[in-house]
Amino acid sequence: MSWMNIELVLLIVLPAVIAVIMAFSSSFKQRTRNILAVTGAGIELCLVFSLFLLNFEAVKSSEFFLQFTTGYSNTPFVINFAMDNLSLLFSLIVTAAVFLIVIFSTQYIRDKESRYFALFFLVLASIQGSILTADLFTLYLFIEAITVFTTPLISFKKTEKTTRAALQYFFYGITGGVFFFISIILIYFNLGTLKMAAVADSFALISTPMQLTIIIFFLLALLIKLGIFPIHFWLPRAHSACPAPISALLSGVLLKVYLYIFMRLFWTMIAFDFLVELHLSAFVLDLALVSSLIGHVFALQADELKKMLAYSSIGHIGMILAVLMLNTEAAFYGGLLHIIAHMMMKSGLFLSSGYLLRTTLSHHIDDLKGIGHKNRLVFIAFIIICLGTIGMPPLIGFVSKWFVLLAFLEARHYFGAFVVGAGSIIALIYYLRYISQAYETVKTENKTLREELVSLKVFFKSTNIMKNVIYLFTLLIIIFGLSYQFFEMPINTAIFELLNPQKYIELVLGG
Amino acid sequence: MFNNLIFIILFMLGFYALVMKTNLIKNVIGLNIMEAAVFFWVISFSDVGGEVSIHKLGEEVTKFNDPVPQALTLTGIVIGASTAALLLTLIIELNKFSGTIDREKIEGLND
Repeated sequence: MSWMNIELVLLIVLPAVIAVIMAFSSSFKQRTRNILAVTGAGIELCLVFSLFLLNFEAVKSSEFFLQFTTGYSNTPFVINFAMDNLSLLFSLIVTAAVFLIVIFSTQYIRDKESRYFALFFLVLASIQGSILTADLFTLYLFIEAITVFTTPLISFKKTEKTTRAALQYFFYGITGGVFFFISIILIYFNLGTLKMAAVADSFALISTPMQLTIIIFFLLALLIKLGIFPIHFWLPRAHSACPAPISALLSGVLLKVYLYIFMRLFWTMIAFDFLVELHLSAFVLDLALVSSLIGHVFALQADELKKMLAYSSIGHIGMILAVLMLNTEAAFYGGLLHIIAHMMMKSGLFLSSGYLLRTTLSHHIDDLKGIGHKNRLVFIAFIIICLGTIGMPPLIGFVSKWFVLLAFLEARHYFGAFVVGAGSIIALIYYLRYISQAYETVKTENKTLREELVSLKVFFKSTNIMKNVIYLFTLLIIIFGLSYQFFEMPINTAIFELLNPQKYIELVLGG
Repeated sequence: MFNNLIFIILFMLGFYALVMKTNLIKNVIGLNIMEAAVFFWVISFSDVGGEVSIHKLGEEVTKFNDPVPQALTLTGIVIGASTAALLLTLIIELNKFSGTIDREKIEGLND
């Protein structure tokens, strides 16, 4: 077993260790704590990136595979972590986004930082765990851990609104977890194993009604966690109540992790043919499309900036799920590219909304009057990211939406294509509503030039890191929009994993 | 068959309390009943009338109960206890702010 295999465990252990240090860091200086947080996330990113670079040839030829096993290796009950191209892609983008969010939150969070970072790094550890794990029970544990650790983060600023949102989020998350547990138990009693690869090998042996039950419980659990239409109303509340970096984490990163788990379960573990055979794939596709439309329509009436962004997240996640359910190569390409694009855009939007809150009273649309005049550059960045979300040509949002649209047209699913187009048009309306409000001219109180300069200097000094992170997200959106081919190789190898689950199964069972 | 029936009754009871009751404490109780139902069910399946699966020196054990569901249940109980604690903490916090633990009233305040 080489050091690379051990690195898999290190990816999970390192954030957990940092979380423990952070929990006892209340006596540290603020600067020390911030440096520790940024270096911790940075080392995590370096670890994942080194895995990518050192195995570049293997990744390119779709042969990349690492695994780590502990326990009695001759029994079916071992703790097993595995990484293939799909998990490498997700691990990479998730860690990169989390790294930027950590840098942002070093300046954004002003009180109880030790508790904040402890919980944040525990969430990061559970995210890495749920991406890397290769057996179902560990997956269940990590999913529950994500729910448990994000709840106190949602109610971080203790007000009535946040507590209510956290409570609702937690009720739904735990109910989803119970459904997930039932499905795991059913699999265990039918097959006597919890290894995903072993389950994949013998899933066809289960009787059809039992297959249906297992799949339905898995679907219920994951649709609750993803916030798809009938069970979506916890999502905008939870995602708008928390501090801005946590909104970015929930909306930008966590929803993608659940999408990854969805792919891992329904393409690697339970072959997608079963979903098609049981007529569930068409149902989920339509549900996701309806959810997408409803998310965009509800975003129209949301009078609060963050609530609007959260509803728009529902719209985008519904679209991604729908396009993945088409189960073609083009659909995977569009879906995975839009996952990356949406991760960058939504994180950027939520972070800049958090920055804008510094200069206004609240996120309500009436309070945003004239905000575009007050902080020009940040608002221009905000507009660029908005345009990316709508789908303007040079930005990455356009490229990914284009591929999604192509996939729908190629599959001759015109309702899907309609939803993509309609979503873009509705998004244009609700973003313009906020942007036009921001450039309303308002009477500003007259300060003397000297006063203004002094206050401006203090303000710039205290917020420059946050600004730079927002500009970085904007730049990334422009650069990757122009050179989206950069993602072509990783995404294509991830698609290879989705289309040939046999490779993953054989390698996990063989080692 | 009997354990399936008990599981379905208990689970539905818990689900009813979770969805239909407006008192938040009752919702937590419902959630816990749901979890307990699943745990009972798991344990009842793992019991095949054999020995307890603990290794004893010098004794031949021919038939033993499956230890894995018991391990799963133990972990599940730990998770259930911690989630219940967190939920109750949040409810106490909420009660401080709004003075009520009625879900309808709390949700009707705004939005």
